[in-house]
Amino acid sequence: MIFVIDDDEIMAECIASATNSETNIFSNAIDAINSIDETPPNLIFLDILLDGPDGFTFLNELASYPDLSKIPIVIISSLDLKKYNLNNYNIIKILDKSTMLPEDIERLANAYT
Amino acid sequence: MEVNTVLAHELKAPLATLRQLALAFPTSDDKKSNHLRAEMISVSERALKQVNDLAKLARLEDGLFEMEPIAIRALCDEIKREMDYLFSYHKRGLNLKYKNKSPLVTANRDLLSSIIYNFLVNAIRYSTEETKTILSISDSKNRIRVDIRDFGPALPTKIWRDLKSGNLVEPTSVSMRPDSTGLGLYIATKFSRYMNATVGATRHRDGTSFYIDLPISKQASLL
Repeated sequence: MIFVIDDDEIMAECIASATNSETNIFSNAIDAINSIDETPPNLIFLDILLDGPDGFTFLNELASYPDLSKIPIVIISSLDLKKYNLNNYNIIKILDKSTMLPEDIERLANAYT
Repeated sequence: MEVNTVLAHELKAPLATLRQLALAFPTSDDKKSNHLRAEMISVSERALKQVNDLAKLARLEDGLFEMEPIAIRALCDEIKREMDYLFSYHKRGLNLKYKNKSPLVTANRDLLSSIIYNFLVNAIRYSTEETKTILSISDSKNRIRVDIRDFGPALPTKIWRDLKSGNLVEPTSVSMRPDSTGLGLYIATKFSRYMNATVGATRHRDGTSFYIDLPISKQASLL
């Protein structure tokens, strides 16, 4: 199971489709957190700028639980994240929405599912 | 987050989505469909690069772009690989000519890439079909010149003078090159000043050369 968290519905569907795997799409961080115990994902594709709590809030929430903090996360964003310290989270890759390819998403999904 | 960053994000989001949609569209045997798909990807990528450049322009004042020694030939090789498809798609060619001895320049990789990319996109747009744009690198005193020679309409005298005197202070429409707002040239001028580099142009009867003169990295002299 892969979680895709992005408030852009079309972008979320494009990412989900590119994974070629079973996915759950969430448009906000709260719904994703509420579902995570029920169906723990193998991988999460996470946008940063979301409606409501942003991607950093979601990352902090995950990091506060020992089991959830181990879930690999792929950040998908158009933001320049160089200035942020993301070492405390289990981020395996940052994909730039402007340049990422469906093959990048599929490769990551295959590696973690 | 500052207004310009939010604005850039707001513009980038739909463009990135449009690009993903085009990429998700399967290729087929139908040439017209494939052509439309390729055009959608190409147009959205060019627009994304422009929005990214505008966002960088807004961040120049913050001084967040670090300068570093850059292997200029390797960078141009990389850009050529990225651009080859676009050139051949538009039935044009791109040749490289390396004549420099010093391998390293001091620049910011993102800003320098943007300048070269913009000059090359400009060359695609304004060169004639079946011509070959020439990207050359040569030594010039303490500087290295990266020059993009296209084969299209010559640059108007006014723009050439403004560039030469450093007076290009705003985007200026280039009358002999319709569809151009001069935005790319304006951005290139701003980026180059930040890097202590200089952009300029040489007029030819059958086209224009846009160039950027970059300071040679002092690290090279230590080798």
